[in-house]
Amino acid sequence: MAVLSRFDPPAFMSDLDRIPGGREQWHEFMSMVFNWAIASEQGVVAPAAGSSAGTVQFFNAAAWDPGEPIIEQAVTWNAFPKELLVRFGRARALVEADRLWPMEAYHSEDYDPAKPGQAVLDASSRSWYRPHDEYCEWHVDREPATGRIRKVTFTSEPPEYWQAIFGGEVPIDTGVSYRFTGNPEIVLDLYRTLVSPEVRVEDLVFSETTQDGKRGDYNFYNKWNSTHGIAHLAAPPNSLSAEAKLGADATVLRGSASGQPVATADALVCCAGYGGPERNSDPTIGAAVNALARLGAMITLVNPVGLYMDHIDLSGWEVPDGIDPHDCVNIIRGKPGMIERMVVEVPAGSSRFVSDITIGGEPVRYGGQIAECITVKLVGGATKLHSVQNGLTPCNSRCCLDPANASRLRDPIGWDAPTPIGFIDALGAEPPSAATLVAVSAHLALPLVSAPRPPIRPLATRSRARRLLA
Amino acid sequence: MSERRSSAIRRASPMTGTPAQQAPVEPVLDMDEIQGIAVPGFFKPHQTLVYVHLPRQRDAIDKFRGLLREFLPAVATAAKTLKDRREHRQIAASLRAVSPRRRAPARQATNREVLVAVAFSAPGLLKLTPGASEIPSPAFQGGMAARASLLGDPRGRGADGSPANWVVGRPGEELDLLIIVAGDERELVSTEAEAIIKRLLGIGALVAKQDGDAREGKFAGHEHFGFDDGVSQPGIRGRASVAADDFVTNRHIDPSDRPAAWLYGYPGQDLVWPGEFVLGYPATGPDPLLPGPLSRARPAWTRNGSFLVYRRLRQDVGLFWRTMRDEAGRLAKLDGFQGLTEDRLAALLVGRWRSGAPFNRVPLGDNEDLGKNPLANNNFLFDSDSPKLSLMNGQTDPYDMAKADPVGITCPWGAHIRKVNVRDSGSDIGGRVATYSKRLLRVGVPFGQSLEDHYGEGRDPQNGDRGLLFLSIQSSIENQFEFLQARWMNDPSRPKMPGGNDMIVGQNAAAEGGVRRCTIFGSGLQQEQVSAPNQWVIPTGGGYFFVPSITALREVIAR
Repeated sequence: MAVLSRFDPPAFMSDLDRIPGGREQWHEFMSMVFNWAIASEQGVVAPAAGSSAGTVQFFNAAAWDPGEPIIEQAVTWNAFPKELLVRFGRARALVEADRLWPMEAYHSEDYDPAKPGQAVLDASSRSWYRPHDEYCEWHVDREPATGRIRKVTFTSEPPEYWQAIFGGEVPIDTGVSYRFTGNPEIVLDLYRTLVSPEVRVEDLVFSETTQDGKRGDYNFYNKWNSTHGIAHLAAPPNSLSAEAKLGADATVLRGSASGQPVATADALVCCAGYGGPERNSDPTIGAAVNALARLGAMITLVNPVGLYMDHIDLSGWEVPDGIDPHDCVNIIRGKPGMIERMVVEVPAGSSRFVSDITIGGEPVRYGGQIAECITVKLVGGATKLHSVQNGLTPCNSRCCLDPANASRLRDPIGWDAPTPIGFIDALGAEPPSAATLVAVSAHLALPLVSAPRPPIRPLATRSRARRLLA
Repeated sequence: MSERRSSAIRRASPMTGTPAQQAPVEPVLDMDEIQGIAVPGFFKPHQTLVYVHLPRQRDAIDKFRGLLREFLPAVATAAKTLKDRREHRQIAASLRAVSPRRRAPARQATNREVLVAVAFSAPGLLKLTPGASEIPSPAFQGGMAARASLLGDPRGRGADGSPANWVVGRPGEELDLLIIVAGDERELVSTEAEAIIKRLLGIGALVAKQDGDAREGKFAGHEHFGFDDGVSQPGIRGRASVAADDFVTNRHIDPSDRPAAWLYGYPGQDLVWPGEFVLGYPATGPDPLLPGPLSRARPAWTRNGSFLVYRRLRQDVGLFWRTMRDEAGRLAKLDGFQGLTEDRLAALLVGRWRSGAPFNRVPLGDNEDLGKNPLANNNFLFDSDSPKLSLMNGQTDPYDMAKADPVGITCPWGAHIRKVNVRDSGSDIGGRVATYSKRLLRVGVPFGQSLEDHYGEGRDPQNGDRGLLFLSIQSSIENQFEFLQARWMNDPSRPKMPGGNDMIVGQNAAAEGGVRRCTIFGSGLQQEQVSAPNQWVIPTGGGYFFVPSITALREVIAR
């Protein structure tokens, strides 16, 4: 065994080969992300009894040689945002998933565009994102006159990769960032090939310096990656550094108040606060990583580190005119099992639309119905099982729920924070008492989402709860 | 960046003070309204399914309504079925006390009563009430034949398993009604079924029947491949009356062992909120101890009703065991797989040995006592070491507990029981919710005579006609049955990887020839694929049905 010689770009894509030193810079950046994630756990991981310090169980394969083979385990999850499902039910979730949301909405777990007055507030928003937080975003291209779907484009390419090609600074943490040399012309070329020949460089950058970025910096939420098309992931939690931070966070062993290991997926994400408890992705990734950590393993993300669409399941798909559903799916970037960009459209020459496709007899009316067929993944690696023994770190946080409408867990709140009125603690963080079981819902008074608007950029954390651990 | 919490662990919430520990308050179920096939389920060794096509003529339909009204008192309610079940449990318990090794013997615990359920397909229900079109279930409205490609059933007209070749419920010939007659004695069941059939024929219905019987002798309770089937069933939460502990599902864990006593019936038997099986009750929420949102009854008269999935599955026993023999033989030559036998390979693919003993509790070999012991045979986790639980009445689970197996090194992620129930692991739809919201109550029974020589190389007087009359109860066909079949069993990457297709019942219509594959680990962590080019579980018919409440039968359908 040896250390990993170089971190490769996601799916071994070759765009950075066009930039002198591009690949080396990517490797440096990835190594830095790993090192930052590992360092952030140093103060968190608990020593075993009799030891002076805990061992962080997340490692950088380019910096440390385990001396043993690494077992790879892919962690898979469904692409359709479960948060939308639990918030709105499937029928409305499909509608919302095809829309853009104002950036302010991200930081409120009660945002509802249909609330009276919300539309007025939304109208003044300057940037918009796709409410897809499962590391797979899509854009629906409809025929304007009829609304029929011509094409749906899916991507799982991380924003940092595109920043690397463009050039500029990628923030990793407060005061920590990496500067890529890049070449904006290559990004322009990619946009023109993948999205539209009408793209101009001015469209892709901030036209003036604001809290969101300096004039001339690459704008992840430019119109060709939001309202007019799609190039890569841009929703705030969908970043590569957030993936690494999630992986590192989930290697920390957690213990309940009574000293029992916290082991189940929901309890862990609530206890450690590393992501959204109602997503498909975060609880699953966290649980898979933590299970390996509980076995005393050292854990990493396998090269090439990225987010990938594993496959699309075409069972139940029927296309008229005898067209084979497989002919309606094209992998544009990446490769089977490691798909980065995928387009669903009826083959050229046919007069049919994607809207003519049925899945289990249901006509495709929304891109989200196709997202439901897509499995997203990351690939973790574990080695040196039973080599590390750490103590249990107490919980950072806990989740509550509304007992009168127990359809979802709320975002984690600080462990010591008071339980909001009308809510009760979930999952044994604080077993419900008889009084709280009859609490009345406090939904009536929830405010409209109105600001202050945070700067727009992909975050280095899967956790939306910024008030966590205040 | 978040800072570390201080090491002071415990603090009481300032809002509630020190909380009182309290068990979940379970809803009282409408035991006189819900049909017994849904709660608690029939679970009888002898069943006859009566297939009914109703005539279209108005007067014949009216006659049928009259017949249904007269017949109503004979439909088994949940109350009647639970009473029967409790009598059986008592007899079984006293027999076990006398002779602990014996499994609950169907023969001795006889009850002269026969249980009957009535279920309607969408076209059948529509003949009787226009309200049928308001039931918002695309699967129910479309019917199983129309959804067959979603389930992975072969499409080509000549293909075995294609709906065009089904013996019941093929496109254009979907059943209107399915009547299930169940009991402890074959003769009584047949007599009752014949009486029902005679009356239906009298009003001009087209009727056929299908018998299903539990296998006899040493295979009692086992399906045709030889495995003890139905070991793991969800435990329906709910009470049969206002008495605080009159639970539909018996509890076996000592009340002091919390929260396990609140989470399980038998150890490992998840208690699931009743809305997952019956419309109009709380279903799964994010906290398993708290009731979740109601499973909505739309239209309102569907309250206390359920959906029933019927799949007539033919099992090619000879093909299964020949493939096990050949694959085990091939793999045994590879490093890390030496000594692999067909029995062991089959157990790896099921996740249990033939006795029902969970593979990850006894990976070295079968243990029949463990397999037959309901206090132990379902008590295991996947992601963590399984804890020992304190049981009631001083009982114990003396066998080795299962060790943590998150990657599927011991029990593969492609094993059937892992493909349909992830237990304490996460899945592709997030945290633990799937463990509660994707469950089925399985109330089917095998059919056909056993195959004498299990490689199928001798004579077979049945000509292969044996298998499973799969029947499941759920409140959502799409989110439960279809989800498990299409999303998990048939897909190689879900619920988790490294996995593969469910080799036992999964289908892989997408692959060339429908070949199924799954990954198993060798003793030195080597990974190999088991491959099965041909289908040994073939769908030969079925349908999607609605099981109405007694009031719905009387006031909406039979009125």
